[in-house]
Amino acid sequence: MLFTELNFWVFFAVVAALYIMLPHRGQNRMLLVASYVFYGAWDWRFLSLILLSTVVDYLVGLAMAREPRDQRRRHLLGISLAVNLGMLGIFKYLGFFVDSFINLSNSLGIPADPVVLGIVLPVGISFYTFQTLSYTIDIYRRDLEPTRDFLDFALFVAFFPQLVAGPIERASNLLPNISMPRQLSWEALARGSVLCLVGLIKKIVIADGVAPSVDAVYASAAPSGADIAVATWLFAIQIYCDFSGYTDIARGVAKMLGFGLMRNFAQPYFAADPQEFWRRWHISLSTWLRDYLYISLGGNRGGRWATYRNLMATMTLGGIWHGAAWNFVLWGIYQGGLLAVHRALAGRHQRVGEGDRRSLTGWVLRIGAILLFFQVVCYGWLLFRATSFGQIVDFTGRLLTPEAGYLDLSLPPPPVAALLGMLWLLFWDVLVEHSGNVRFYRGWPVVLRAGLYAGMIYLLAFGATTQTAAFIYFQF
Amino acid sequence: MTAPDPSRPDRPGSLRQFLGVLGLTLVFLVVLDVMVAGLLGLAQSRGVAGSLVRYFEYGRSVPGKLEAWQAAPEAQGNLFDVGWIEAQLNDSLTGPDAPGGVVRSYGMSFVDNILRQAVAADPALAVDRHAGPGAPPNYTYAVFLDDHLHRQAGDVAVLGILSSSVPSLAALSNRTWVFEQPAPYTYPVFTPAQDGGLSRIDPLITSPAQERALAQDPAAEAAWTAQLAQEDAFYGAPTFGATALDVSPFARLVRRALAKSHVSDRKTAVLAGGFPYAQVLSRMVTGFAEQAQTEGVYPVVFLIQTRDPNDPDLLAVLGPVLQEHGIPYLATAEHVDPRDPTAFVGDGHYTHDNDRLFAEAFLRLMATRSAAQ
Repeated sequence: MLFTELNFWVFFAVVAALYIMLPHRGQNRMLLVASYVFYGAWDWRFLSLILLSTVVDYLVGLAMAREPRDQRRRHLLGISLAVNLGMLGIFKYLGFFVDSFINLSNSLGIPADPVVLGIVLPVGISFYTFQTLSYTIDIYRRDLEPTRDFLDFALFVAFFPQLVAGPIERASNLLPNISMPRQLSWEALARGSVLCLVGLIKKIVIADGVAPSVDAVYASAAPSGADIAVATWLFAIQIYCDFSGYTDIARGVAKMLGFGLMRNFAQPYFAADPQEFWRRWHISLSTWLRDYLYISLGGNRGGRWATYRNLMATMTLGGIWHGAAWNFVLWGIYQGGLLAVHRALAGRHQRVGEGDRRSLTGWVLRIGAILLFFQVVCYGWLLFRATSFGQIVDFTGRLLTPEAGYLDLSLPPPPVAALLGMLWLLFWDVLVEHSGNVRFYRGWPVVLRAGLYAGMIYLLAFGATTQTAAFIYFQF
Repeated sequence: MTAPDPSRPDRPGSLRQFLGVLGLTLVFLVVLDVMVAGLLGLAQSRGVAGSLVRYFEYGRSVPGKLEAWQAAPEAQGNLFDVGWIEAQLNDSLTGPDAPGGVVRSYGMSFVDNILRQAVAADPALAVDRHAGPGAPPNYTYAVFLDDHLHRQAGDVAVLGILSSSVPSLAALSNRTWVFEQPAPYTYPVFTPAQDGGLSRIDPLITSPAQERALAQDPAAEAAWTAQLAQEDAFYGAPTFGATALDVSPFARLVRRALAKSHVSDRKTAVLAGGFPYAQVLSRMVTGFAEQAQTEGVYPVVFLIQTRDPNDPDLLAVLGPVLQEHGIPYLATAEHVDPRDPTAFVGDGHYTHDNDRLFAEAFLRLMATRSAAQ
C-alpha cells in the first residue's frame, strides 16, 4: 500500500472517518489497528518483528525506570540493543556478510560453496528499530520517563504514516502527541493537504518521471561521460524527491490527524559544505546518529584526530544503515571523509559563502559554493546508485577521462511533466529558503494561493501518467 | 545538527476560510482547464498534432477513442481495422509454390521483425504473416487454429508468445488492456478444460463491421458490454466509464493515470493467480505442436521476452514443457539479456541487430529440420 496508490487514500479516508467519530483513547486504539493493517498489507508475517521489538522495549523501559543501579540498567539496555540490532543483523545484514565471506574465501583460493539464505528484508525495519532504540537509550540516559500505557507505546513504534520510511521520531516528540488529546482543525487539514500535494508532485511527477533516464544509464554497459553526469544529476533530484516526497506525505497525513512529525529535509541542495548538507538532509537520521552514536563515541571531546575517527565511524555506520552492500559502505566512508576534511579546513578558513550574503559578491560566492558542492554530493550519489564496485570504477574513469564521444548524450530525456516539476521544485525551495518559512504561501493573498494550488493540482495530473514505483527508501 | 521547523503552531482557522480557499482553487482549476482545452483545440484546428496534444488525447475513454477512430478513418495511428482475425484469415496465402513450404507465423510485430530479418538473410523463404498489435497468446493460438484450411503439409508454423501480453490471456480484446492504443480487434479466452485441453469462449464481436453496427443496435451493444464485463478481466469503469468527461483535458489526464493503475492492478492480479496462465500456455504449446504435427507442419514456438522485469519469465514457464515434448522453440532470452536496456529501441522492440541474431537462430532451427527430413 503505497502513498501514491489509490488504495492508500481509500484506506486513509476510512481511518479518518473513524478517527473523527472516536474519543481520544479510541482514536489511539484504532490507529494502532490501522497501522498493523497498513504494515500487514506488505507482509503480515513481519508484524511479529514489530511486536517483538515493541514488547521488549516497553518492558525494558519500565524495568530501567525502576532500576537505580547503573550496571543493571546497562544490562537492560543491552537486551534492547541485542534484540533490535539482532533483528537488523539477521534480516538485513546476514546474507550480505555470508556472501562477502564466501567471495573473499573464493578470491583467496579457498573454495566455498554459495549459501542461499533466502532472507526477505522486512520493509521499514531500519526505521522502526532506530525509533524504538531511541526510546530505551533516552530512558537509560534518564532523559525520558517511560510510558505505562502499552498500547500508546505500540502506536509510537508502529504509527503508520512514518512506519516504513520515517521520519525517525523521538519518543519525547511523538509519545506526548499520542498520549495527550489532539486538536483537529481546518487549518491542520489545509496544511496537511498542501504537504500531501507537494509530496505527491515530488514523488510521482519528478522522481518517477526521471527514474527511467537514470535507470537506462546505470544499466548501460558503456555510457558516455555526459550520460553519466546528467544521469547522476537526475538521480540526485530523484532520490531527494522520492524520499522528501514520502516524508511530506507522511507529515501531511499525520498533520491531518493532529500529529506533528519532525521536518526531515530542509532544501539540502542549497548546502555549501558537508556539515550544512547533513543539517538539511535526512535530518531525523543525522540527528539520531549524532545523539546516539557520534556523541557516544566521544564526539569532538577527544581532540582533532579522535573527532575525525568518530566522524568516519558514524558516517560509515550511517552508510551501512542504508543497506547491506559495499557501495553504501563506500558512500558512508565518502561522507565521513568529507565531514572530516571540512572540519579540518573549516578551522582555518571562513566558511565559503558565509560572508555578507546581502552583497552581490556574497551571493555570487554563495551560489558558486552551492553549485560546486552539489557536484561533490553528486559523486556521492554515484557511489550510492552504482550497481557494483566495478561500475563505480568504470563510471569514475569515464567521467575523468574525456575521449571521443564524451559529450554524446544518449539517455532517454525525462518527460515534459518532470521538467516542469523540477522548475516548480526550484521555485518552491527557493521561496522556502528565502523566506525561512516552509509555509511561505500562507502570507499570500487568498486568490494567489488558490491559483498556486490549482496549478499544482494540474501539474500533478499532468505528471501522474508516468509509471509509479515504490519509494527508494523502503528498501532501507 | 537539527534544522528547526519554522512553522508556527496551527491557528484554529475556520470552515469558512477553508471552504473559501477550496472553492476558489476549484474555480481556478476549471479556468485553467478551459484554457488548456482552448489551446489544444486551437492546435488541432490548425492541424498541429504534436506530442503534447497527443499526450492529452491518450486519456480519452476507450469508447471515446473508438468513436474518434470511426469518425476519422484516415487519422494517423488509427487502429480500428487492424488485427481482426477474420481479415487475417482472408489475407492468408493459399499454398504458394515454395520449395521448403511456407512459414506461417501467428504473432505480433516482434515475430514479424524477426521473420523480416530471416527473409533478408534467406530470400528464398516464403513467409505468410498473421499479426495483431501486441497480440496476446490467445490471439495467436486462435489464429493458428482457425487458419488450418490454408496450411499444407511441409509448411512451418510459428506461434509467437510475447511475455508482456501473457496477462491478456484473460482478455477478449486489446481495447480493455492497451488503454492508450485500444485496438478493438477481438479474440477468444481459453481456459483449462476437464479433458486436459482448452475450452474456448469466443467474443460476440468478431469484425470491424459488427463493431461499427453496435451504434445502431443498443441490444447488441448491451450484450457485448455484458460479455466484456463477465469474461474480460481488464474491463472496468476507469477505462470505459464516464465518457462525458472526455471533454476536459484535466479529466483525461486523471483518467490516464487511473487507467494505467487499473490495468497494472489487473495484470498483477492475473499473474498472482487470478488466471491459470501457466497451465493455459502449456496446453496451448502442446496443442499447437500436436495439431501441427497432425497436419504434417513443422511447429516452432517463439518465446519473446520483453524488457519489463515484471513480465512472466517465459523460458521458466514454458521451457520444461517444450523440452519434454521436443517442441522446437526460439527463446529470445537465450540470446539476449532482456534486462539490458540497450537490447531495445525506444518503443520497446528489439534492435535490428538483435532481430538479426534471432533470425539466424530461427534459420538454424530450419536447417536442423531440413537435415532431419
